[in-house]
Amino acid sequence: MSEPNVPQTPEAAEVPAGPYVYDYKAAPYRQITMPKTVPLPSYHAYVAEQKAAAEADEAKWQKTLADYETAKAKAEAEGKDAPKPPVRPVPRKDDNDMKPPVPQEATDADLLKLKELLGDKVEEIFEQAGELVCQVKKEAIHEALAFCRDEAALKYEMLADQSATHYPAAKDYACSVVYHLTSISRRKRLRLRILVPEGFAPESACSLYPSANWMEREIYDMLGIRFQNHPDMTRILCPEDWEGYPLRKDYPTVGWGQRDIAFREDRGGMLERIALQKAGQLGINLKQPKAD
Amino acid sequence: MPTPTLTQSIVITFIQCLMVVIFVFVVVPLTVFAERKVLGHLQQRLGSTRVASGHVGFSGWMNRRMWKMGKVPVVSYWRGIPGLVGDVLKLILKEDVIPAKADKFVFFLAPSISMVAAIVVFAAISFVPGTFFTFPTWFPYLGGLPVSGGISDINVGLLWILGVATVGVYGIVLAGWSSNSKYPLLGGLRSAAQMVSYEVPLTLSLLAPVVLSASLNFSEMATRMAVGMPVWALIPQVIGFLLYLTCGFAETNRLPFDMPEAENELVAGFHTEYSGMKFGLFYLAEYINMTVVSALASAFFLGGPWLLPFGLQGLLNPYLPGFLSWFAAPHAIFFVAKIVFLLFTYIWVRGTIPRYRYDQIMAVGWKYLIPLALVNLLLAAAIRCFVV
Amino acid sequence: MFKNEEMEINLGPQHPSTHGVLRVKLRLDGETVTHCRPMIGYLHRGVEKICENQSFFQGQVWTDRMDYCSAVANNLGWAEANEKLLGITVPRRAQYIRTLLNEFNRIASHLIWLGTHAMDIGALTVFLYAFREREDVLDINEAFCGSRLTTTAFRIGGLREDLPPGFEKMVRKFLAKFSDCLEEYEALLTENRIWKKRTIGVARLSAEDAIALGVTGPMLRAAGVAYDIRKAFPYAAYAEMDFEIPTRTEADTYARYQVRMAEMRQSARIIQQCMDGMPEGPVMAKLPKILRSEVNEVYHATESPKGEIGYYLVGEKGSLNPYRFHVRAPGFINLQSLPKMAEGGLIADVVAAIGSLDIVLGEIDR
Repeated sequence: MSEPNVPQTPEAAEVPAGPYVYDYKAAPYRQITMPKTVPLPSYHAYVAEQKAAAEADEAKWQKTLADYETAKAKAEAEGKDAPKPPVRPVPRKDDNDMKPPVPQEATDADLLKLKELLGDKVEEIFEQAGELVCQVKKEAIHEALAFCRDEAALKYEMLADQSATHYPAAKDYACSVVYHLTSISRRKRLRLRILVPEGFAPESACSLYPSANWMEREIYDMLGIRFQNHPDMTRILCPEDWEGYPLRKDYPTVGWGQRDIAFREDRGGMLERIALQKAGQLGINLKQPKAD
Repeated sequence: MPTPTLTQSIVITFIQCLMVVIFVFVVVPLTVFAERKVLGHLQQRLGSTRVASGHVGFSGWMNRRMWKMGKVPVVSYWRGIPGLVGDVLKLILKEDVIPAKADKFVFFLAPSISMVAAIVVFAAISFVPGTFFTFPTWFPYLGGLPVSGGISDINVGLLWILGVATVGVYGIVLAGWSSNSKYPLLGGLRSAAQMVSYEVPLTLSLLAPVVLSASLNFSEMATRMAVGMPVWALIPQVIGFLLYLTCGFAETNRLPFDMPEAENELVAGFHTEYSGMKFGLFYLAEYINMTVVSALASAFFLGGPWLLPFGLQGLLNPYLPGFLSWFAAPHAIFFVAKIVFLLFTYIWVRGTIPRYRYDQIMAVGWKYLIPLALVNLLLAAAIRCFVV
Repeated sequence: MFKNEEMEINLGPQHPSTHGVLRVKLRLDGETVTHCRPMIGYLHRGVEKICENQSFFQGQVWTDRMDYCSAVANNLGWAEANEKLLGITVPRRAQYIRTLLNEFNRIASHLIWLGTHAMDIGALTVFLYAFREREDVLDINEAFCGSRLTTTAFRIGGLREDLPPGFEKMVRKFLAKFSDCLEEYEALLTENRIWKKRTIGVARLSAEDAIALGVTGPMLRAAGVAYDIRKAFPYAAYAEMDFEIPTRTEADTYARYQVRMAEMRQSARIIQQCMDGMPEGPVMAKLPKILRSEVNEVYHATESPKGEIGYYLVGEKGSLNPYRFHVRAPGFINLQSLPKMAEGGLIADVVAAIGSLDIVLGEIDR
């Protein structure tokens, strides 16, 4: 006889093997869809994508032209009317106020200065939606932060925010860690970004910016990235014995033993009953179709 | 006037005790009610100024009329009564929780000590000098016997009052200790320190009337302070009154000196672990203490049962025309009215100013109040020596 | 003979003056605090995870419930971050109305702060006075969007509805009496000796420490740093508004009180300007029926009553929901400075420090 309080499902007894490896067969309701793309904005990637798209477009146009030429030649040979010449399709213009911002080449002096200071430790600099982004090598983040804080031309005094994102679809890294720096005196913002593979512990920013203390704890708590030389690398929001890292993309949104209840699910036919009752009050018979 | 026999005087004393107890248990809930109402009006609260018996009776009719006229009904003296009734019922009916690790005996003892110490003080308080009323001759057994204005107007009345009132600290300290919890302990320690420190200026400020009136008997002191003082005695009386009132606030743990139970720091201080009627006893004791402090202030500084405060009655009485002789005589109603006014002051202060910090309270007590009280005592002694 | 022992005490998670479920572990030497460690997470609901699994529109209701005292400010930051991510331009009238409501929200939030902070220090009456005026602000919220506390006031691209009829009258009525109300609170506190004794020099946090710890909002401005995102990085219609950034240099609890009181006056000024210069026009941008993001990554910060509230969003190509949703909660960062302020003071000062931080645990734990 099993205990009355233990859930009757046989899966409940099986604890997942690793911190975030779930046995989805045993608990199908914890099945999650993993992202298939890596939405990491990057100027290089954007340029390459645009170039490829333009080439594909051009190739398509050339093919259409060639088809037209052959069709024209064929029509001439057969003495028929020439086919209509093709019109190159212009991209459809949406009549709305939405223009998604795209990455642009870095022109800001701060980014160029950082590039000059850090040399090849900078992986990429670009601007997007008016924000300055500088991606540095993961080992060089401490150095980059020190430059940002102490260099007279930069003077980013405050680490406003630090966060991380999980990219399970990426090949050579697992997460990105972003540092949002604010220069109060110069009224500027800058985003530093590093890409960290699984198990890599980046250097903590606490010695430079004490505000990183809790933010790094939160990143550890939520995404499982540990930071080196952090004074207190413990969980902050979740309990200390919590398993898994909730903001990872492979972390299920449904808890153990919880039923996946759809919002529109009509439990016990309650909504139907209410609808019939309301309709009855209005003199409408929903139950029986009208006998016309 | 017939002299009562021993049994008769015991019965009379018993009746007096009963009257005092009734007085206390009428004044205290009324103070609580007044606190709700006064604070309600001071702070423009919606509950305590509007909660009424709903839709029944005259007030319900008034309510409906005013709502219909598009006005919010506010002015009704009995609005808020349901809140009071609910409060009392809650205190009586609530489950009495005792912490598992508490020292049970002391935990039980502490609220009783507080309560008893507070109420026993009334033994020496005389509401009016001499006879309060005389039993009519047709009254069985006690016909024609006088009832004095106090239970026992002993010669060391003030000593008794101060001595017994101090015992109340034990209630608080023991409550803090016996709860076996950290916040009550801190609250108990704070109150021990605070009440011991404020006992000194309180007593010193009361010594000035003692010196001036050359007596320790309550009614004698009250009489002399009201009608037997020279004009010079006004100054020590006024200073003494303000000093005494300040210390009285501290002694009764009211804002701005409510350190032991500072709810925003120590949750509820010494009575954090108390619930039900045990908490109710602390609550009652606090209000009885307030009444006692007000009674003393009223008797020694505000003229007690006489109309005018600060000994002005004695200065004015010779010039009073005959048809106003009722106002020249002592009446218990004046005494009670002054107590009520002082109770109102307590509430008023509570609604107006924030709380001191613990170290600041100590600084105020030792650095300002005690020296001032000593100077005031010297002043009173000088007046006693050279003027009276 | 005498043993000197430190006492460890838990302030919270159930405590009258921790403003929710904050737990502070204190080590006391007598009444002096020798060590202070805030512990949070009791109200963690996983807002970020939830918003990552909902569409762009649906996230808004969660921002209401983060800092429930300043829901409109959270909505504004969220809406603008989404607009930045999707590249949407908002009509000018909508910007004005947003600014207006945001400033009303600042007043409401500061009023709650004033009331609870004063009550922590023992002044009971201010609490109820402040709530009296807050009630009017909530009525204005209700008139605009139908709900009082969790407003869900804006939409991506503008507003759902234009101002209701009679709105301007409500606003003008409020503005007419509000400065008198502020004077009423100040009459109870500003020159009160006990209030000054309890707040002056208490819980100091110098400008250097504040910047290093990432502290923003009135806390930073009370330390003498005139950093206000409304001026530094103008958003909504703030670039067109004429207002001042109140600052003090004392960096103590009293300075924070003064800064917040002055900010309420400035808010009233901004509301007045919004109402006077309200442009005509549509309140909603022309948008496609379904919002799909491109690959993009934005961090948008706005000045909430508590400080800098930042939203970090990552967009996936063609996705209906944000790939990553992160909130830089001002309370979370500001709370880090509590040990710096509290250590060395008394217990009563810890309470004053927590009060002057103006924290709401809903946004700290998220």
